[in-house]
Amino acid sequence: MTARRHKAGQDEAEVDMTPMLDIVFIMLIFFIVTATFVNERGLDVTRPDSEDPPPTKAVTILVSISAAGVISMEGRDIDVRAVRANVERLIAENPDSSVVVQSHPLSESHLMVGVMDQARLAGAAGVSIAELN
Amino acid sequence: MGARLAQKEKDEAAVDMTPMLDIVFIMLIFFIVTATFVKQSGLEVIRPPAETAEDQRRVSILIAVGDGGEVWMDNKEVDVRSVRAGVEKLLAENPLGSVVIQADTKSKSGILMQVMDQVRQAGAPGTAIATEKD
Repeated sequence: MTARRHKAGQDEAEVDMTPMLDIVFIMLIFFIVTATFVNERGLDVTRPDSEDPPPTKAVTILVSISAAGVISMEGRDIDVRAVRANVERLIAENPDSSVVVQSHPLSESHLMVGVMDQARLAGAAGVSIAELN
Repeated sequence: MGARLAQKEKDEAAVDMTPMLDIVFIMLIFFIVTATFVKQSGLEVIRPPAETAEDQRRVSILIAVGDGGEVWMDNKEVDVRSVRAGVEKLLAENPLGSVVIQADTKSKSGILMQVMDQVRQAGAPGTAIATEKD
């Protein structure tokens, strides 16, 4: 009889974890289901810093895109794939020069992204975007 | 003596749940910590290809520009001029999240530049244009 009583007392002393576990499992399932892992690739758009004065030696390389989608550099019309070679040549002449892509508002954005990509491939120190008037 | 034996058998029959609970708690904490509630744009676009693109971290806001120049954010079509207010509102919920603009290949770059300008004015910690690997 004493042994039975002792046993009953021990059972009651244990905290029942079941409701807490139910909640923990439900929270776990909620967070697993709502977990969204965004894998988005993108080109960082450099923000022109107005506070820093531009270095005097640096030259900006202008690449313009017309409304019809014609890319021109230094007064010549070139292909998107030729932008890299031209920018590389100008960077070899003036290291640390940055590239400004002047895009007409009516040109298609894949040209702008393509030119930015080419300029970055050429190793330009900075690529920024401007609107062509 | 017989009672003691029965007690011992019962104790051994109970499965020890502690290791499983440890794992469940660790998983729960992992999913709570990594939970980022991304504001989807609500528009599927064809991204322009680029080779120098980097994986974007801490993305919390997606803004889409469709091929017809329509701007979508937070599953709604919005006006270009209201992008700033919308980004400011979403940034208040997650101040460290960066913005990714998903511009369709055929969209006009003028709209894209307007959206970028609005995002910049809203003070987003980072802006990027979504691209696809070549």
